[in-house]
Amino acid sequence: MLTRWDDVDRMFQAMDVFRNRMNRLFTDFDRGLGLMPDQAAIAGWPRTNLYDAGDHLEVRVELPGITVQDLNVKVLGNSLEISGERKSLTPEGYSVHRLERGEAGFSRRFTLPVEVQADQVEAILQNGILSLRLPKAESARPRKIEIKTE
Amino acid sequence: MSERMNIVTREENSPELTRQGVVIAPLVDIFENDEEILLFADLPGVNQENLSVNLENNSLTIAGSRKLETRNQAVFEEFGDAEYRRVFSMPQGLDTETVKAELKDGVLRLHLPKSEALKPRQIEVKAG
Repeated sequence: MLTRWDDVDRMFQAMDVFRNRMNRLFTDFDRGLGLMPDQAAIAGWPRTNLYDAGDHLEVRVELPGITVQDLNVKVLGNSLEISGERKSLTPEGYSVHRLERGEAGFSRRFTLPVEVQADQVEAILQNGILSLRLPKAESARPRKIEIKTE
Repeated sequence: MSERMNIVTREENSPELTRQGVVIAPLVDIFENDEEILLFADLPGVNQENLSVNLENNSLTIAGSRKLETRNQAVFEEFGDAEYRRVFSMPQGLDTETVKAELKDGVLRLHLPKSEALKPRQIEVKAG
């Protein structure tokens, strides 16, 4: 009887090994698509943050390896579009060991919570992070309300 | 394990966690020719002072951190402060003295030149 239980245990062990292999396979597959396991759940690339700073909105976008020439930022009313292309850095005459970073073009459009002044948007690209400062339209700015006493 | 596998295998056993925060393994491209191994790593938001590249005992460690300085209220946030860390096993015989590293536009470019012993050699065949 004991030996039989051993057999069962061994079978489950084999299944565990198989399951681990499968898990790793899927992780590698995600990596191949340029998605980290924890990033895969997030739709949309590049990853973007949006902050509200009272009189202006602030946008941060993760754009490693993208130069100013390869990047387009368009603002119209309350819509913001960020598009561009990552140029391949693959050098000639090299054999490839690993390709995870990808080089595809991208485009992402956002509807901003308020209208912004498109002609006064400031954009800075530094260390692979794009920072946008979008001043809110006059009508969307917070206004101090004067309180009168009667 | 073949040399090729050595280069691409990611170290699985993670050391004890001594710091809190998100640790991200940066995405990399690795190339090789007769002269060198060339590595690109995506490190958006990391500046030169917060990046360290360490080649020791055939293990290459890339570690960096970024801090997003903002005090404004987030409407939505898809990335934040992070620590980057990834370890690679490298083949023996890299010329550690002449390793070159550049950080530009959030991408690290690392040149790891091979020493003479590692370069392929053309063997002349003589007719007997």
